Amino acid sequence: MIKAVALTKRYGGLTAIRGVSFEVAKGEVVGFLGPNGAGKTTTMRILTGYLPPTEGSAVVGGFDLSRNPREAKRATGYLPETPPLYPEMRVRDYVRYVATLHDVPRAQRSSKVDRALGSCGLEKVANRVIRTLSKGYRQRVGLAQAIVHEPAVLILDEPTSGLDPIQIAEIRELIRRLAAEEGRTVILSTHILAEVEAICQRVLLIAYGQLRVDARLDALREQGSLEQVFVREVQSAASRDADAAAAMAAAAAVVEAEP
Amino acid sequence: MSHVLAIAGRELRSIFATPVAYVLISVYMLFAGFIFFASLGMFLVQLEQIQALGMTNLLEQWNLQDIVIAQSFSTFAIFLAFVVPLLAMRAFAEERATGSIELLLTSPVTSSEIVAGKFLAIAGLLLLITVLTGLYPLLLFAYGDPELWQTLAGLQTLLLYSLTLASICCFISALTRSQIVAGLVGVAVALMLLLMPFAAESSQSETMKAVLRWFGTSTHYEPGLTGQVRSEDLAYFGIVIFASLSMARAAVDSLRWR
Repeated sequence: MIKAVALTKRYGGLTAIRGVSFEVAKGEVVGFLGPNGAGKTTTMRILTGYLPPTEGSAVVGGFDLSRNPREAKRATGYLPETPPLYPEMRVRDYVRYVATLHDVPRAQRSSKVDRALGSCGLEKVANRVIRTLSKGYRQRVGLAQAIVHEPAVLILDEPTSGLDPIQIAEIRELIRRLAAEEGRTVILSTHILAEVEAICQRVLLIAYGQLRVDARLDALREQGSLEQVFVREVQSAASRDADAAAAMAAAAAVVEAEP
Repeated sequence: MSHVLAIAGRELRSIFATPVAYVLISVYMLFAGFIFFASLGMFLVQLEQIQALGMTNLLEQWNLQDIVIAQSFSTFAIFLAFVVPLLAMRAFAEERATGSIELLLTSPVTSSEIVAGKFLAIAGLLLLITVLTGLYPLLLFAYGDPELWQTLAGLQTLLLYSLTLASICCFISALTRSQIVAGLVGVAVALMLLLMPFAAESSQSETMKAVLRWFGTSTHYEPGLTGQVRSEDLAYFGIVIFASLSMARAAVDSLRWR
């Protein structure tokens, strides 16, 4: 469903990611881990067609992002770190707007919008103005806009950040259901290692712009806890690449400044 | 096309979700109304004086159309140099500041569709302003007989001129994340274009003179306001709108490359 081949992204002289390659099969839920500024968001932005890679290529939902960007984007649902909401819109109007942008046929628009609102537990606030919603509900609206066109691939950048424990459990349950029952492929980035253990089958660990670990969760468990693996890999990457570490810190600042 | 309409519809609704558009349109209508009725009052006083002095040969040229309508339209054009940039400044700058541009750029939507949608929304707003402006001369039709076609030509020129400014400001708005910067630069550019023909007068070289005159917006809207629709002016508006929107599209494209 997703195939990244030797993705490299440079911002001016700074290399944010270098030679990142991996594949994700249909229905898999993959946790994307790494320290802040490691290149997670950059990789996700490349996969969603927001940024073109400096080198390498990516295929999403069977479409090459450089050759068929529209088809690839149509097959992708994306929740950025900050949900791209219009605070003055009503929840239902907003989700409907995103459905239109993603070419959901007019005849199916209402039913798909209702379905997405239902999946995310938004029926009761469907007619509320987004500005008046709590952070948890805004995050759910962000998720609803990512799934409304029923994409084959979901790319979620920290979908549970800033939510309370109950909301986190609900979102995790939703993600698990989307993959298990509807066969959607999910990549999600997170800092919460327990989250990966709760919903992911596979882990991608990126540090200093390079992919360090690509393994199934059960295989990783044999090497110790996820936390031990994380710390070990990040530290060994850092010691091997002290210069790269400095460059990455600078690159992280650049990534956060845009858009 | 459904993308363009969806983007334009959302943009229009969000323009009217904040008081900015209401305030701007109200202030514009207030000033425009003041200028219009002040010049009408002046016209009537001068008319009486001319009659009292018996200069009947002057009465030929002393008509409602040229003195009241064309001249107040000419003042409206100066107001629009402030109003249009302030209406258009949000187009892209706001979406870049809030990050919602990420939604547009990761949707299966082309940069041309995004720019067309944004421009269409502002165009709708400017059409509304033009229709409201038309209400003032409409009052004169109730009491006198101004030239209908000349008045319509004047309104059409005001609309084309506003669209030209809006397209330039769309481009400026795509270059920055700050609405304020986009608005101020927009007003500055609008005023510069307005003043170019005056700068042309003081220029030494003939070529420079012609260039400055061609670029000036007032060179191209003044004839239209008095009812002369010239193809060279229509071409000017068309060329500037097309060029600005193309540059705006390039600017949106470049957002994908950072």
